Amino acid sequence: MNSKTGSGSCRYSFFTGKNILRGVFLLAALLAAVNVCLSTGALGKEDEGKTLGVVFADGRRTEDIILSKVESESEELYISAYDLARIFKATKYWKPGRKRLVVRIGAEKYIFTLDTRVVTADDKSLLLRMPVRYRGGFVMIPLEFIRDHLAKSRTGRIEFDEKRFVLTIGAPSYNVKGLTFEESDEGTRAVLTLKDELLYHVDNETPGLLRLKIYGGRLNTLKISATEGKGLFKRVRAEQTEYDAYLFFEVQQSARRFRVEFLGPAGGDSEDRKLVIFLEKGELPEIPDADFAGKRMVEILREKTAEQINVEVERVVIDPGHGGDDAGRVSDSGIEEKLVNLEISRMLKRMLIDRLGIEVVLTRRTDKIVPLDRRGEIANVEKGDLFISIHCNGWFTEEAGGFETFFLSPARNYEESHQAEQENSSIRFEESDLDSEKLEELDFILWDMVQNEFINESSEFAEIIQKSLGERLNIRNRGVRQAGLRVLRGIKMPAVLVEIAFLSNPEEEKLLMDDKFRRVVCEGIVEAVRDFSADGLGGETE
Amino acid sequence: MKDENIGRKIIFVLIALFVIITAVVFVSRWRGREGKRPGTVREVPGEIRTVTLFFGNSKADGLVSETRDITSEGGFENEVKQVIEALLEGSEEGGHVSAIPRGTRIERVFRVEDKKTVYLDFNRALISNHPGGSAGEYYTIKMILKTVGVNFPQVSMVQLLVGGYPVDTIAGHYKVDSPLSVREWR
Repeated sequence: MNSKTGSGSCRYSFFTGKNILRGVFLLAALLAAVNVCLSTGALGKEDEGKTLGVVFADGRRTEDIILSKVESESEELYISAYDLARIFKATKYWKPGRKRLVVRIGAEKYIFTLDTRVVTADDKSLLLRMPVRYRGGFVMIPLEFIRDHLAKSRTGRIEFDEKRFVLTIGAPSYNVKGLTFEESDEGTRAVLTLKDELLYHVDNETPGLLRLKIYGGRLNTLKISATEGKGLFKRVRAEQTEYDAYLFFEVQQSARRFRVEFLGPAGGDSEDRKLVIFLEKGELPEIPDADFAGKRMVEILREKTAEQINVEVERVVIDPGHGGDDAGRVSDSGIEEKLVNLEISRMLKRMLIDRLGIEVVLTRRTDKIVPLDRRGEIANVEKGDLFISIHCNGWFTEEAGGFETFFLSPARNYEESHQAEQENSSIRFEESDLDSEKLEELDFILWDMVQNEFINESSEFAEIIQKSLGERLNIRNRGVRQAGLRVLRGIKMPAVLVEIAFLSNPEEEKLLMDDKFRRVVCEGIVEAVRDFSADGLGGETE
Repeated sequence: MKDENIGRKIIFVLIALFVIITAVVFVSRWRGREGKRPGTVREVPGEIRTVTLFFGNSKADGLVSETRDITSEGGFENEVKQVIEALLEGSEEGGHVSAIPRGTRIERVFRVEDKKTVYLDFNRALISNHPGGSAGEYYTIKMILKTVGVNFPQVSMVQLLVGGYPVDTIAGHYKVDSPLSVREWR
């Protein structure tokens, strides 16, 4: 009874005006607290963070991914494993019992463990600053995993732009698929699997190092560099540039010779193409050879050496770029590229004749227009042994500068050309009066294929010129590049195009007008012709 | 007793109010989370498409990218035209260089029977305002082809036209009289 009364009186007293007011305040405070909790995420729910723009190079639509702040004491943003897997086209496996999430991105496997900072990536471990968490039904991964690990280990394919907060994901389209080493009694082979028919250049200028450049090569630098050396190959490192792929092989002291072979079918999309570098064991040379011991640790031994490098150079065709109505690049101060090209070509002609005693033909001797196809015809009719097109470069701003040497990309895709060729030849047989347009196209394709035959020599000559100019010029060395330059098509001899310097760059414009600079350029090219030629050509080196 | 009734009513109203407000807050938060929760892409109205544009870098030895929003309507040709127009408007960022001559306009975009080849018809400025130089010409072509190739993977060839007709070359180094392969210029 007492208790009943007690409670009654208590209830009664609760309903006094004062208490009602107190109750209202209490409830209001409670409501406010609930709202604060909800809006700050203090109830354990992640806060809304920032959106990350994701751009895909493979044509997928650009997306905005919502990132969250998971840890109240840290500003680190998290991405859900769901989004991570989706944007990288990755497969993920969740092992709830072990609190583990396995994500496979391409060939790499990453293992995340909840509430830890360690990520196992294939055979190594990465340490994150913040732990992986589980929130609201999602495994949340710190963004630093993408920013500091994925983007750095996959340069060229994943780009994280901090400023714009945009992630760009490139489509991996490797044409250099893999590398293996095979050991035998004679030596060691490095076998590269190629998807396309690619051109390469090997140099061994640095002692103990073989540098392999693959024109137009695209490779997974991380994967290739992780390949463990074997036998005569100590180590390998891969690099990817905008245009080409490089492999640097560190070789053992006992390596004496190397040979490079290309195996597999020509043309088509075959996976069976292999580029084999065979390193041969050998005895030290009996006669101490300063050059051999110091400069070259391994000696080039190519099966096709005789055909490939020993070109007898008796006549050089020089092509001064542009001419007539086509002024080429015109500098801000009004200097026309066509004239600079012509003057340098004339100087080069004199120097080749004087120093090497060879014949020289110019595709144009005056300021006149010569169609691009006609230049190749002149070279072919004159039966030159080498074709050198002289140009000056130009860009839309002043900053770009340097010299570069080009040789031709192989004509189209072999299959495309071949198919078109077959189609055209069938038309040829079927139709009595030939469709001149179709015939022209056939000619065009055949014309395109002509230079293919000389592409190895052309790349070799381009490398020699670039090296020679590099030793002489103090402007940026932009390297040797492959491009579909029209003037080089259809030429039945090794052919290159030299871009001497940029007329759009005021400093280089001055150099291009300077007689001394021009002479140094010509000397560089003359020496390159001498190096390239089989018999070293006459005359003394100056 | 009257006081007690009033008090009960008040407390009942307050509790009901509390329940309703809490429910509203929860529902709205939950709905918000539906749209924003990680793992869900933000709903973008169907007609907005973010595209990637490619420009040259200041040293003329590589491409750099920027993104723009276009309206995704009017079909494929219209989308391509909008992307090219955005490209012609130039870069919005320092250090990025447009290798497309001043005054260049895109007049028409079309395909013929072969749906894999897209024809881009520009005005004369593409040639007449081109400053020349092989790097300049290379990136003029590359910017266009890469931008089309990345945003429209269904396109494998691009034919450049000037004033409605194919031209031999833009600045004397590269032949553009026949369709160019996106793969070769990627």
